[in-house]
Amino acid sequence: MTSEYRRPVPRPTMNPELTAPFWAGTKRHELWLQNCKPCSKFIFYPREACPECWAHGDDLVWTRASGMGRVHSYTVVYQPAHPAFGEFMPQAQVLIELDEGVRMVGNMVDVTSEEFRADPAVLPVNQRVEAVFEDVTPEWTLIKWRRVEEEPAPGSDSEPAENPWANDPRYN
Amino acid sequence: MSFRGEAAIIGIGELPSRRTIPGLSTAGLLAQAARLAIEDAHISKDDIDGLVTEGGSIFPGFASEYLGIRPRFGTGTSMMGASGATAVLLASMAVQNGLANYVLVVMGQGRNPAIPEQGEGGANPATEFDFPYGPAAGANSGYAQVYKRHMHRYGTTQEQLAHVAVNERANAQGNENAVFNGQPITYEDVITSRYVNYPLRLLECVMPCAGAAAVIVTTAERAKAGLNKPAYMLGGATAVDGLSGMMRPELTVTPVARSAPTALAMSGYAPRDVQFAQFYDAYTIIHAVSLEDAGIVPKGEIGPFFAETDTTYNGKFPINTDGGQLSGGQPGSAGGLRHVVEAARQIMGKAGVRQIERNDLGLVNGNGGMASVMCTLVLGSENAL
Repeated sequence: MTSEYRRPVPRPTMNPELTAPFWAGTKRHELWLQNCKPCSKFIFYPREACPECWAHGDDLVWTRASGMGRVHSYTVVYQPAHPAFGEFMPQAQVLIELDEGVRMVGNMVDVTSEEFRADPAVLPVNQRVEAVFEDVTPEWTLIKWRRVEEEPAPGSDSEPAENPWANDPRYN
Repeated sequence: MSFRGEAAIIGIGELPSRRTIPGLSTAGLLAQAARLAIEDAHISKDDIDGLVTEGGSIFPGFASEYLGIRPRFGTGTSMMGASGATAVLLASMAVQNGLANYVLVVMGQGRNPAIPEQGEGGANPATEFDFPYGPAAGANSGYAQVYKRHMHRYGTTQEQLAHVAVNERANAQGNENAVFNGQPITYEDVITSRYVNYPLRLLECVMPCAGAAAVIVTTAERAKAGLNKPAYMLGGATAVDGLSGMMRPELTVTPVARSAPTALAMSGYAPRDVQFAQFYDAYTIIHAVSLEDAGIVPKGEIGPFFAETDTTYNGKFPINTDGGQLSGGQPGSAGGLRHVVEAARQIMGKAGVRQIERNDLGLVNGNGGMASVMCTLVLGSENAL
């Protein structure tokens, strides 16, 4: 919450008017997502057309999301693209799958650089997480994530990845 | 071969042109035009299996992600003013040759006063939803997330994938053109090299270099009359997916799972017939998952495969016989082209000390973006025709 924040803040290059409700939500410490009325799918990143059914305009409505999700995957970044992150490295760039079915990139607030340096595998894939809100500047509030206690959903990750032709006799 | 009479336009979509269009972005305008076109053609979004964009301003991987389509054929033309016509030509070739049934050609330009002048990288969701979280440069973070997910899902280990780097470095010792020729490494060197992006270690990442590569392609008739043993194009296909892990249904599956079967079907061969492979290898992990998706190794078993298989040019199944990009260096897009060059060189029998014996049928894979766009080729000798 100071002018000393030197890391990149969100730079809306796609359509600032469209994404404004998302960032207005984070300022209130709430996670809001677009929802498509015709197909009921959630949408992230925000779009002018639903990637599922191409509905647009008033068919896309903003709704408050649960703020809960799981670590779908992550990487521990040692060499950030932007030099202002340097002193905070290593840090995980996590890919969170929200309960609403969409994914977003973020950071963990409760796993330190020291912990990652000691063991980069310290964060389990499928870890249950909840959104936290970091007011990084007067203008911008970022969504970050912290661990919460809960067993991973049984069987959610035990199926082999779909290989479209695994059972195709032409190739086996 | 002509495509006269083989392709047709069956639907059109057009938005009114205005000086500015407040409230909408370029990508949003494309989505509206695309919807008008499918409505006019009486097809559904799901029928679309091909996509051609301008390419320079709108990367097909981005358009695919924004529009929520995962076409099996896709390309950008980067032909500036001629892009529209070129795109229709490409779309016609694609449908004639069975690469797609319904190709969406979509182009446009937003002028929205509320959208800032495009700076570095242009309109890009990453500047808003990714960069504030400290990603690494280039595609490192995305590929590392694929790696971590593969480890989680299949038990793949960093120790297993270290063999990719070790074997390719061994191959580079037989290639004077390789940047790491004369600099052998050991398994211990790889697994103790520093992390760049956990799980990716330094020696699992490509080194940018200067260089160039080229090939000459001609008709089979002309090739047969020439002095060289030809490397025939037996099959080829592309496939497209999104730019980031945000939209991939399954991180560990690349579009090679769709490009390779098409290319192989065209060739009449199965993965088991393939004698050697030259596969894009900017990172160990993208090399590994691409080989799985091509069917060279069953899904999830690439770790044990590399731990147990000699993939050098003296080995049972030679891969990246020139050292690939990990040990050969990455001179821009020539890095990917060099996989084609080495496959042809092996088939022509011109590989010198690293010449392989079973050189009649090779599989080549190229990769762009964050495993966003793939092209798989089947190359073979006269014996494979």
